[in-house]
Amino acid sequence: MSFFGKRSRGGAKGRHPQQQQGGGAGAGAGGEPLDFEETYRGYGDYGQEDGDYLNDETFGDNAELGNDFDFGHGVQQQEAVPQPPQQQPHVSYVQAAQSGIHTAQMDTSADLKPMASLWSTGPPAVQQPHILSMEEIERQQRQMQQQGFMQAPPPPPPIHPMTPQGYPVPPSDAPYQGFMQGPPPPPPATAPNAPTAPNMQQFAPNVQYGMPGQQGAYPPAFNQGAFPGMYQASSPAPVQPQGAPDRGELQSELQPQPQSQSQSQSPQPEREQRLASGQPAQLRTRLQQQQQQQRREPLSPEEQQRLQVRHAKVEKILKHAGLMTPRDKDFITRYQLSQIVTEDPYDEDFYFQVYKIIQRGGVVGESNKGLIARAYLEHSGHRLGGRYKRADIALQRMQNQVEKAVTVAKERPQKNKNKLEEEASGAGGREGVLGKVSTAMNSKTPRRQLQIPLANLRSNSEIEASELEASAKVPTPGALEEVTQSLDNVEISQKSRVRRRSSYAFSSVDHNSVLGRSGGRKFVLSLIETVYEEVLELEANLRSGKETNNQKLWDALHVNDDVYEVCPFVSMLTFDKGVKIMPRIFNFLDKQQKLKSLQMFFSELSHLNIIIISSYKTNPTPSDAQLKKIDLFQTVFLKIIVSFLSSSSNFIEIMGLLLHLIKNNNVSFISTSKIGLNLITVLISRAALIRQDTNRSNVLSSPEISTWNEIYDKLFTAMESKIVAVFPPAEYTDRVVHAAGSTAPTKYYDQAYIWQFLASLALSGKLNHQRIIIDEVRDEIFGTINAAEEMREQAKNTQGAPADDLLYRRDKLYQDLNLFLNVMGLIARDGEIAELK
Amino acid sequence: MSETPLNLLKLNLDERVYVKLRGARSMAGTLQAFDSHCNIVLSDAVETRYELVDGELRSTERPSEMVFVRGDSVTLVTTPEDE
Repeated sequence: MSFFGKRSRGGAKGRHPQQQQGGGAGAGAGGEPLDFEETYRGYGDYGQEDGDYLNDETFGDNAELGNDFDFGHGVQQQEAVPQPPQQQPHVSYVQAAQSGIHTAQMDTSADLKPMASLWSTGPPAVQQPHILSMEEIERQQRQMQQQGFMQAPPPPPPIHPMTPQGYPVPPSDAPYQGFMQGPPPPPPATAPNAPTAPNMQQFAPNVQYGMPGQQGAYPPAFNQGAFPGMYQASSPAPVQPQGAPDRGELQSELQPQPQSQSQSQSPQPEREQRLASGQPAQLRTRLQQQQQQQRREPLSPEEQQRLQVRHAKVEKILKHAGLMTPRDKDFITRYQLSQIVTEDPYDEDFYFQVYKIIQRGGVVGESNKGLIARAYLEHSGHRLGGRYKRADIALQRMQNQVEKAVTVAKERPQKNKNKLEEEASGAGGREGVLGKVSTAMNSKTPRRQLQIPLANLRSNSEIEASELEASAKVPTPGALEEVTQSLDNVEISQKSRVRRRSSYAFSSVDHNSVLGRSGGRKFVLSLIETVYEEVLELEANLRSGKETNNQKLWDALHVNDDVYEVCPFVSMLTFDKGVKIMPRIFNFLDKQQKLKSLQMFFSELSHLNIIIISSYKTNPTPSDAQLKKIDLFQTVFLKIIVSFLSSSSNFIEIMGLLLHLIKNNNVSFISTSKIGLNLITVLISRAALIRQDTNRSNVLSSPEISTWNEIYDKLFTAMESKIVAVFPPAEYTDRVVHAAGSTAPTKYYDQAYIWQFLASLALSGKLNHQRIIIDEVRDEIFGTINAAEEMREQAKNTQGAPADDLLYRRDKLYQDLNLFLNVMGLIARDGEIAELK
Repeated sequence: MSETPLNLLKLNLDERVYVKLRGARSMAGTLQAFDSHCNIVLSDAVETRYELVDGELRSTERPSEMVFVRGDSVTLVTTPEDE
C-alpha cells in the first residue's frame, strides 16, 4: 500500500501498519530507493525555487498549510492510493507514491525492482526506540561499514544497496537506530518533504539547522525521518554548517543505507505532529513554497513540461542510483586518483599551479609573471611554514589520502600496462568501467601544449647511425621547416637545460654520467672518430692546396646540438684524444664558429669532466691518470682559449663568454677546480687588459663599461663569501704533490694560479671589492708569509742544494703573493706587508 | 664507418682498455693500434698473470711502456673498471 494510507492511521506509529501491510518483499524494496530519488529530486528542483514567490498569491497563504500536505492534488492522491496494488508486487510504495503525485508527468516504470528484498531485513530493527550517544553512533557506523564491506567485497557493487542480506543484520540495524533515534531529533520539516520529492532536499538543511531548538520539541517517534538520520550518520556534530545542499548530496551518496531506510514512512506523522506543535513562521513559509509548487504543477503546462524534463533527468540519474557502496566509490576514486598521484604534489604539479594562476589572472603579460612569481613564493612559503600555514596541514591530509591511492597505483602497474594493450586491441580493460583513466598522461608527463617535431627526438642510435654514414648530412628543406616551427621548443629546452644543469652540477666524478646525458660514451667516441676523419681530410686538402670546407667538421662537432642535455662538444673534451684534437680543429674554424663553441664550452663548464676531476670538492684524491689529464687539458685547451682571446676576440665577446659562464654555472663550484679558476682568470684578466689598452687607443663606450661592471658584480656576488674556497685544503695539495712526486720537477703545490686569479679579480674590481677579497683571504695571505719566513729559517739551518731550493721556494711564494698584493699597491717582503713604491 | 666489431675497438683508440688473454693473463693499457687479427699495441700497459699456487690464486704484475699483443691470444677487450 502506499504511504498515503499511513496518513489515515496517523501518528508515530505510521510505520508499523505500513510494514505489516507491505510485508512482502516488494513493499520493502520500494522504501529504499526513495531517499535517493528524493535527494536527487530536491536538487533537480533547486533551480526553480527562486521564481516561486508569487505563488503565494496564486495558491493561497499559510492557512492552507495543513491541506498542503496532501500535495494539493486531491484527485491524484486518491488515484495513487489504489495504484500500488495494481502494480506488480515488486513496485515499491515509494514509486507508487511518486507516480501518484506525478501521474500525469511521470513514467511510473522506474527501474526499482532490485530493491524488493530490502524490506525484509531493514525496517523491523529500526523501530526499536533506543537512544544512543554520539560515540555509540559513530562506533556502530564504523562497525557497520567494516563488517558490511568485509563480508561483501566491493567487486559486485550493485548488490549492496539493494540487497541488505549482503550485510549482517545486527551491524546494519544498529546504525540505523542510531541515526534515527539517537542524537537531537531531526527537524520535522524535512520529513514532510519526502513525499513531495522535488523540493525536499533543498529546504531540508536550512530548516533543520535553522531551528535547533525546535527539534527537541518533537517526540522521538519522528526522529525516524530519513534525513536526520542521514545527516547524523555522516557527521557526528548535531548542528551542521549551512551550505548543506552539497553535503546532502555527498552524504546521500556515501550513506545510502541509512538514508534509504526510513524514507517515506515518517512524513505523515511528522506533518501532523508539526501542525499540532505549531511551526515557526520560517518553516511554514518554506513548506508553503513547497506546497505551492506542488499545487502549481497541475496548473501550469509549462511548469509541467519543465518538471517532466527534470524528472526524466532524475529518472536517468536514479536508474542506477545506489548501485555502488561508498566503498566501491572509494575504490574507483582511488583508482582514478592513482593515475595522477605524485609523491610531491607541490613540486610535480607546479604546472597546474601556474596554469591555475594564468587562468585566474586572465591578463597575459607582465602582470601574469608577477602573479606566477608570487604564487611560487607562496608555495615555497608553505613548505617553510610560510604564508598559509594551514595549507601545510591540508597538504598533509591530502597526502595521507593520496598515500592509499599510491599503494593502489603501485599494485597495478602491470595491469595498467596490460590495459594499454587491451585498449590498443579494442578489448577494453578497465577503461570506461572505472571512469576515464588516462595512462598516457599523468602528473609526470602532462599533456604537452607544444608538440616537439620528431626530428628532434630521434633516438641516439638513429643519430649515431646518421653520423656514422654521413657525418654532415645536409638538412633537407623539410627538416629546416620543422626546426623553424620548433623554435619555441628549442627555447624551452634550452631553458630547461639551464634549470637542470644546476641540479646535475655536482653529480659525480664518473664521467659516464655526463656522457650518458650527451648521447652515451660510444656516441661521443664515435663523434671524436668522425671529427678526426674530417680534420685529417681537411689537413690533406690544405697540404695539397685545395679549398677547405669546414662545414662537415662543424656539423660533426655538434656545438649547436640541443638534443642532448650536455652538449656533445663538451663531452668530447672528456677524452684525452678529444682534447688533443682541439688545436687542429680550431685551425679550421672561423671566428664565429670558435666563438660559438667557446660559448657552449663556458655554458656547460659544470659538465666538463675535467672541471669535476680537478675540483678538490668532487675529487679530493685525484689519481695519477687524472692529474695527467688535468695537465694535458691545461696545456692544450687552455692555450687555445688564451690565444683566441688575445688574438681575435673583442671586449664584448669576452664579456659574453664570461656571462655564459656565470649565468649557467655554479661559479663557486667551478672556482674550486684549478682548471675552472684558470678559465675565469683568463677571461677577466683579458678583459682587464683590453680595458687598460683601450684607455689609450680607442675608448670603450659607456654602455660597454656599465655592462662590464654588471657582469663583474654578478661574478663577484657569486664568489663572495666563498673566495677563500679557491684555496684547496692541505690534504688535497699534499695528495697532488705526492701523486706528481715522481715526475714533477717541484715538490710543492704551486699556488700561483690562485694568486693570479685573485690578482685579476682585484684588478677589475673597485676598492670595496678589493677590501672584501682581502678580508676573505687574509688568513691565506699571512699563512703564505709565515710559510715563506719558515723556509728562510730552515734555509739558514741547511746547506747546499736544499737550502737553495728552500730559498727559491720562499721567493716563489712572495712572488705569487705579490702578484695579488701589487694590484692593490702593496708588497710583501721579509715577513712584512708594505706599500708599493 | 659501418658497425663492425673492430669499429667498436676503433672508438677506444687512445683510451684505456682491458684485454683478457689466453693462459690466465690480462693486460690493461692505452690502446694505440689494432688490426683485423686483433693484434693490439698498448702503451703504459700492465700485464697481470694469474696462477694457482697450492690452491691459492696469486697474481703477478708486470708493467711495460709499450707492448704488442698478438691477436690469437686475445679473448676479450673492454674498458677497465676503475678508470
